Amino acid sequence: MRDLCYSYGDRVALDALALDVPRGSIFGLLGPNGSGKSTLLSILIGRRQAASGSVSVFGLPLAPRLRARIGIVFQEPSLDPNMSVRETMAMQGRMFGMKRARAASETERLLDRVGLLDRAASMTTTLSGGMKRRLELARALLSGPELILLDEPTLALDPDSRQALWQHLIEASAAGCTLLLATNDVHEAERYCGLVALLDHGRVVAQGAPADLKRDLRHDAVRIEWSDDPAADALAMGAWPGVGHVRLAGRTTHVTVDEASPFLTRVFQESGDRIRAVQIEESTLEDVYFQLVGKGIAPRADGESEVAPQ
Amino acid sequence: MMQQLDAVLALVTRDLRSFARSRSQLYSSVLFPLMLLAILGTGVSEGLDPKNIHDYVTFLTPGMIAMTTVFSSTFSSASYYQDRDSGILKVFLASPHSPRIVLLGKTLSAVIIGAAQGVIVLAVASAIPAIHFQWQYGVLPSLLLSIFAIVLLNFFLSGLGQLLASKIRSMQGFHLVMNLVLFPFLFFSGAFFPLDRLPEWLKILGRLNPLSYGVDMMHLALYADGRSGYFGLPLDLAVLTLLAVAVFYFGTSRAVSPDQ
Repeated sequence: MRDLCYSYGDRVALDALALDVPRGSIFGLLGPNGSGKSTLLSILIGRRQAASGSVSVFGLPLAPRLRARIGIVFQEPSLDPNMSVRETMAMQGRMFGMKRARAASETERLLDRVGLLDRAASMTTTLSGGMKRRLELARALLSGPELILLDEPTLALDPDSRQALWQHLIEASAAGCTLLLATNDVHEAERYCGLVALLDHGRVVAQGAPADLKRDLRHDAVRIEWSDDPAADALAMGAWPGVGHVRLAGRTTHVTVDEASPFLTRVFQESGDRIRAVQIEESTLEDVYFQLVGKGIAPRADGESEVAPQ
Repeated sequence: MMQQLDAVLALVTRDLRSFARSRSQLYSSVLFPLMLLAILGTGVSEGLDPKNIHDYVTFLTPGMIAMTTVFSSTFSSASYYQDRDSGILKVFLASPHSPRIVLLGKTLSAVIIGAAQGVIVLAVASAIPAIHFQWQYGVLPSLLLSIFAIVLLNFFLSGLGQLLASKIRSMQGFHLVMNLVLFPFLFFSGAFFPLDRLPEWLKILGRLNPLSYGVDMMHLALYADGRSGYFGLPLDLAVLTLLAVAVFYFGTSRAVSPDQ
């Protein structure tokens, strides 16, 4: 992708975005909601036309026929409520021009792999959230795509379902499939993606292997548990020299700092009697993102807030 | 080409299967016009005793068939919104086919469902003793002509449904507009009363109304015992065919907004 631009009216979604996704990689597009991830995926499947710039997939310009080599798992549910599991797969096979015998045998194999073979005759409405996601993945894999686009594939899944889904994705990757994943789940991106691109307002602010990005950061992350409300402390710490990102969740603060030792010395000097526990953690991509953009990636849970650096 | 045809066929099969599984839609779409035929037809012919219309129940039958196609094509076109809301439309549009193939499959299925319902009403009506079809061109030619009229009407209405769907974001709005547009059209199409004795301004509206030509074709095939009809068969065929082809073409060629 080169100099890709797209706008929704006055709001710029992609701003001269440039990106290379190597074949066979698990590539994460990491950014907060509205950073342009989903827009980029919708351009790749031809749903939207970029206002300017160029895109090529497998070295070829985008064309409907190219979509035969691309599978997609959408962010929102995308199953037909009037179809059974097997009918869903058969429909996909026909839409992708597969021979019926091959589609049928692949369906059996994939449903078996994602643990839905015994539910093949069930209507999609009777499946759990995790099962639906697995079916959507099996459907995306049916035609043997070389590239799979995944838009927040594990959103709203329980931990077991997440793990199961990732297991299947890793298998697909091992079979040579390129995975391009849009997510705002930092931990998932760090754990599973070989490469990530950090997006902000439709621009790539950094890209590379998660470990390399974090190495460049050279920050420590300190987690402090307080005996009472640390809101005022968090605000004060945000103004200290060497302090980056301060996140507040209940009575816990998560702080990135240039060096943990002088920071902790000062914290204990000023508020030592109110500290219950301290833990020095490895920095995350969230910290990298904060360092580069000045805000976080993941949507804040209830009660969580951020303190901007002074 | 074969892959595109198979994709269209797959989409049509899927919509037909969904329709067959929706028993309430299946039964109500056939029972409602028959019920109206029995109640309105008997009520008007016995209660009002219209002097100008010989055998009102038989006269009303082509109108009820036209009404069936109006309702069924509206419901079938609305399945576009159901597919959009369930997310499956995005999946179809992410296939290697152009949006036009997807719209063609969906619109053709609406045509088939609407035509099948119209033909069922026609078949049931022809078996009712109180309805006396004239079959003035002979039974088979008249039957084929009325089926042709039903099919043309459905091509026109399903295409119109797609055109409206490109402009209207919500299914509720779509139903509202379809009813607002098509219900009045039904009333001055000759479905409920003959156009030839209406005031001039209603006659003009009747001439501008595409449904009038379909109803007239069916009146010629099933009811009339003279050959002329209101517009005459050549004009009915010419206008309805032209409209059906044009509206179906533009309806299936419309752009599919990524946000709709």
